[in-house]
Amino acid sequence: MGSVTRKKIMSIMALGAMIGLLLLPILVSAPVLAGGGEAPTGAPPPDAAQAGGGEAEKKVEKGRDVYYKTEGIVVGAPAPKTTDSPKDYPRYNFESRVLLWFANQQHLYYGSFVLAVPIFCMIIEFMGVVSKDRAMGKKYDQLAYDFIKISLTAYSLTAILGGILIFTFLTLYPAFFGYLSSIFRPVMHIYALMFVAESGTLYIYYYGWDKMKEGFLKWIHLSMSVILNVIGTVLMFLANSWIGFMMSPAGVDEQGRYLGNIWHVIHTALWNPLNVHRILGNMAFGGGVVAAYAAYRFLSAKTDEERAHYDWMGYIAMAIGVAFLIPLPFAGYWLMREVYAYRQQMGITLMGGLLAWLFIIQATMIGILFLSSNYYLWQALGRMRGAEKYQKYIKYLVFILVCGFLIFITPHTMVMTPAELKAMGGQQHPVLGNYGVMSAKNGGINVIITTTVLSFIWYMRGNKVSTVSWAKFGNIFMGTFFFWAYVNIIWLAIYGYYIPANVRIGLSVPQVATTLSCLFFMTALNAVMMKGAKQTGPIEWGKISARSQYALIMLATAFTWMMGLMGYIRSSVRLFWHVNEIMRDNSPWAYTHTIGFAANMISFNVLFFWISILFVFWLGTLGVKKAPVEAKAPVPGRAPEPAIGH
Amino acid sequence: MKALMSVGALVGVIGLLLLIGMVMGVIPSNTVRLVEGYMPMQMLFELALFVAGFAGLSYLLGSMGMGIPRFWQGILFWAFILLYLKYRVYPPIPFSVRAMYGTVSLIAVFMWMSSNEEDWKKFKQPILNVLDAQSGFNKVLRYVYLVLLPIIIGGFSYMSMKPTSEEPIELRTVHPAPPASTKVHGKSYVLQTAQNPYRVNTEGKYDQEYTNSLIVEQSMGRLMKPNANPWDPKAEGYLKYVREGGEIFFQNCHFCHGDNLNGRGLHAFAFNPIPANFTDPGTIAQLQETFIFWRVAKGGIGLPNEGFPWASVMPPWEQHLTTDEIWKVILFEYWHTGYYPRTWD
Repeated sequence: MGSVTRKKIMSIMALGAMIGLLLLPILVSAPVLAGGGEAPTGAPPPDAAQAGGGEAEKKVEKGRDVYYKTEGIVVGAPAPKTTDSPKDYPRYNFESRVLLWFANQQHLYYGSFVLAVPIFCMIIEFMGVVSKDRAMGKKYDQLAYDFIKISLTAYSLTAILGGILIFTFLTLYPAFFGYLSSIFRPVMHIYALMFVAESGTLYIYYYGWDKMKEGFLKWIHLSMSVILNVIGTVLMFLANSWIGFMMSPAGVDEQGRYLGNIWHVIHTALWNPLNVHRILGNMAFGGGVVAAYAAYRFLSAKTDEERAHYDWMGYIAMAIGVAFLIPLPFAGYWLMREVYAYRQQMGITLMGGLLAWLFIIQATMIGILFLSSNYYLWQALGRMRGAEKYQKYIKYLVFILVCGFLIFITPHTMVMTPAELKAMGGQQHPVLGNYGVMSAKNGGINVIITTTVLSFIWYMRGNKVSTVSWAKFGNIFMGTFFFWAYVNIIWLAIYGYYIPANVRIGLSVPQVATTLSCLFFMTALNAVMMKGAKQTGPIEWGKISARSQYALIMLATAFTWMMGLMGYIRSSVRLFWHVNEIMRDNSPWAYTHTIGFAANMISFNVLFFWISILFVFWLGTLGVKKAPVEAKAPVPGRAPEPAIGH
Repeated sequence: MKALMSVGALVGVIGLLLLIGMVMGVIPSNTVRLVEGYMPMQMLFELALFVAGFAGLSYLLGSMGMGIPRFWQGILFWAFILLYLKYRVYPPIPFSVRAMYGTVSLIAVFMWMSSNEEDWKKFKQPILNVLDAQSGFNKVLRYVYLVLLPIIIGGFSYMSMKPTSEEPIELRTVHPAPPASTKVHGKSYVLQTAQNPYRVNTEGKYDQEYTNSLIVEQSMGRLMKPNANPWDPKAEGYLKYVREGGEIFFQNCHFCHGDNLNGRGLHAFAFNPIPANFTDPGTIAQLQETFIFWRVAKGGIGLPNEGFPWASVMPPWEQHLTTDEIWKVILFEYWHTGYYPRTWD
């Protein structure tokens, strides 16, 4: 009894220490933040100013914030004007930008993974704690533990890659890096301290798993995961502020001189949309990677038991990934909207100009993601007896999905020969011209998402027959709801052509609302209808086609590729600026790569990431002890329930 | 059910016969016209009808014991899509886009064929039969493939490596990226915030809502709204400027951009690419007035490097027109096409 109390006290202390670690950087930097920055280095102290009279006052130079338009005292030096010389751009006999690209991308992949997986763990551990079925709860708990184990190795790799990244910056872009770190000086140490806090928390969370597995202690453990994720999120927000500053600078004047307000520097026009987009993106990506891991283990499994476990793991990872994938396009639209609002030039370069074709590739990748998820769900119907009734309708879903997809990927700027151009009679095509613009594409993607929701609902009711008295009414209502949702989405897409552009952009709101209504209301309605439903057969985990697992691998690869692509697009939209309109890139590589080169580079990064993460997975299997007896309990005949929506 | 499927089958057969007729050139390709303005939805609707038709046809043939094997269903449907895209849609779709559509359709056919185990088995069976080759016919087929496949692959390689005299494909930016501000006749305009000074109401005050409400109805005949006739000599405010813009347009722009503003003017086809078609929803309808102002003022020649790759021979009109004239022409272009300029809310 005494030892339990001691454990309790120790765990509460550990939790307190974590919170302290979390707050420490804020406390440390409180004077900086409160004071709006340190005293201007060039300015004399106030009393000296008084003594010196008016002459000293004149020396206090003021500047105007390029974004917030507020006045501030100039604190920093202007952005350096670099020249193409070894001083500003030292180099190996290789393109420096490509080296930096590689280092950045790999760090980002691992960073995303280690930020996403603890969020996964938190969700799954929570599901395990609240699960009424104890066997099931243990399974969830074990799954969460497996995840965090993988992320531990990945975490060290993230740190190593971060180190490599900084060295790459220091050696290849010293002038630029020096400028950026001078601007972010007040928060640089917060970032470093956050890293310390993250490591400490992660290790206690991982190594304390077994010691804190019951009752009150388990809740403390769960709280630790919450803190771990808060720290991780703050870390990411800080990193986002650097890229936000590079794209849409604020807190500096036109010459790039820091004006003493660090919050302005952090809180740039694109910071919040970037934060939201990245959280969702990381989660979807993390889901994809874990699902691919499960798929790999499924395909190489020797026993039915193993197959069942990894099938289940793949399903849960995929479900979490897709749950975050669905709102991702909306966050993307928000980001783009802010980009347009910040600088039309960037918006048009991205979506109508130089980088427009990369967006077509992006649309293709998004389509592949949704197609793969749908395909996986249809395949998953195969492991449920009684789901056959839905299978014959799949071809219609394929048709609707693909129509949405085709519109979504239709290019506005077309690749064609002059002969084709002549045959078409100009750049504009009466069909493609209409599909190539946003109004149609909004309709396309919303149709795709709504269809994915429909597939999910079919999956959820695959082996069940509703027993509620109003089942028939419920089904009719659901069918009607979906029908009108499609009608509304398509109608708004057409109507968009007949109204002013700013109203048209506003139409995406009712379209999204329709899609989300299908997601939330229909999933909820379905859950109510399926409560206490008659089961036509158990979910036979492991009895799923190998094709489905390849779909999961496809999903993960598409995520990785798309992240690389979107990162490249976001970064290259600055064209020849290090910091947009503030610090010019005067290196020999201040040009935009061709699409082919970029695609090869992204593919190389993806390949490298997957090879290295395979190593991480392999390391994960090295330390596996024989499974404890309780975990070895045969896979229940009444197999575990799927995680989402049940 | 059977009746419904029969109707579907009938539609499928008629549609198929029509398409085959069009491909063979027996039936004029405009027998079922693609109506301008409705083409995008018409195409989707036609495809949906075909899918319903094929489903009905397959059901009926199946119930009569003459079902088409899964393998051939998939192959034929894909072939149908390719033929439809090539022969049905006019003006022709460039190959690059057809290739994208074709690939996606192929994936769709695969998803449909392999969506459940039973179908997948049926689909794979003919392929496995040839690979296993138990019967004489399959053995012959296997040898044919053995010879044909390397020849086909070799042929493709040869064709792709062979030097050709064809013009290279080109990628052109439709909308070059504008700068944050532009200087015309010595005055700076911030493109994101500047406004057309002639969007005024009858009292002469800037009024976007008022002018928007007087834009001609955008529908298939592009009818003029009652009481919104710029050619009326008594027209005041916005409408008066539309008329003046029209006069400038017809004195300077219509030679290339055409009487109907569709990019098919007298000299249009001397250029490659031909001038912009303002009636297309992808051109001025997507843009701010200030963007058009910048484009017209600087022409194709004065565009900055950031906008690359673009191609336009439009002269820099600031050398020929006053700022006011440029704004008025733009007013006319929006009025005539019935589009509203993009604004930031």
